[in-house]
Amino acid sequence: MGKLMIINGSPRAPKSNSRHYIQAFLSGWSGPYEQYSVVEKKHASCLERLEQCSDLLLVFPLYTDALPSGLMEFLQAALAQPPANKPKVHLVINCGFLEPEQNDVAVDMIRLFCERTGCPFVSCLRIGGGEGFPSTPFMGMVRRRLKKLAAAISRGRPIQMKVSMPLTKGLFRKAANRYWLNRGQAFGVTQAQMSSLEIEGR
Amino acid sequence: MDLILTDRALPSLPRHDQLHVVHVAEQRIAPCVGCFGCWIKTPGRCVIRDDAPAIYPRIAHCDRLLVVSRLFLGCYDLPMKRLMERSLPNQQAFIRIHHGETHHIQRSVHPKQMTVVAYGAESDGEKALFARFVTRNALNTLSEDCTIHFADSEAQVDTLVEKAVAAWEN
Repeated sequence: MGKLMIINGSPRAPKSNSRHYIQAFLSGWSGPYEQYSVVEKKHASCLERLEQCSDLLLVFPLYTDALPSGLMEFLQAALAQPPANKPKVHLVINCGFLEPEQNDVAVDMIRLFCERTGCPFVSCLRIGGGEGFPSTPFMGMVRRRLKKLAAAISRGRPIQMKVSMPLTKGLFRKAANRYWLNRGQAFGVTQAQMSSLEIEGR
Repeated sequence: MDLILTDRALPSLPRHDQLHVVHVAEQRIAPCVGCFGCWIKTPGRCVIRDDAPAIYPRIAHCDRLLVVSRLFLGCYDLPMKRLMERSLPNQQAFIRIHHGETHHIQRSVHPKQMTVVAYGAESDGEKALFARFVTRNALNTLSEDCTIHFADSEAQVDTLVEKAVAAWEN
């Protein structure tokens, strides 16, 4: 097993759900690894260190149905200076919607990156309902798959997985709306204010 | 109101009162930091006060939208993508079921006719991926009436834009 580079592609890296997923992944990973967050904006240095790694794990949220722009900046830097050692690429992507399939287009954007750099696309975990997962009892479902992913990477075996909350769409809608309402209430913002149709006061 | 968002200069474009043109690459638009402030602290208003808050209400309220953008990995390239991310105040945090999937509820966003002129695609595969991206994103922006034109050269962009605007005027 070679060294693994883990990249957090979330713009709110220190407070991100991606960080929770990385921590859960690491509880099942026993090999050497390095971590980098795209918000550090030291892409050249990360790309240099990536040359010493056999595997690259990208962990990020879906942003407007695609990759977060901070991760896109990193990938642009990587395309300008493609890793000569062609690390194997793995992916953990989460979206706030219930359906993990809503991540598929973004997954294929990473596949295209792999085609252009010659890095093999190997494994992927797609998470639906990812915004709320870490604060629910369902987090165990994600943790198990992250450990499975860690085992697959260390054995050099490809794996494709998806996971979502075991809720109907209607129940998920209610649970998600309650989650957001509670977050608004923490700032003294009411449901009526959060439901405002106004944009910039118009 | 008609709105054009472009990441390149369009000098030959006819101007009139009902057409607003934003050269996105010349605006000061920071990346979204994912704070969700526009949902839970100041609903409908981004906490970052750069040039984006003057633009995303126009995206919400326009009836016809033309987007001109270079592609990167089957997506809008960074200037346009940053603006799309910063348009999150146009949505509420709350979820609805739309076309059988969970999506966010929109604020006062007009259903719109959208045309995209995309350039810089490196392969047919990238074009197909971009079309899938736009189709998915349209569900979250009420722009499901959408047409994409791919320019095979930068010179062709102007021609496609002129045709798209002429089609509006007819």
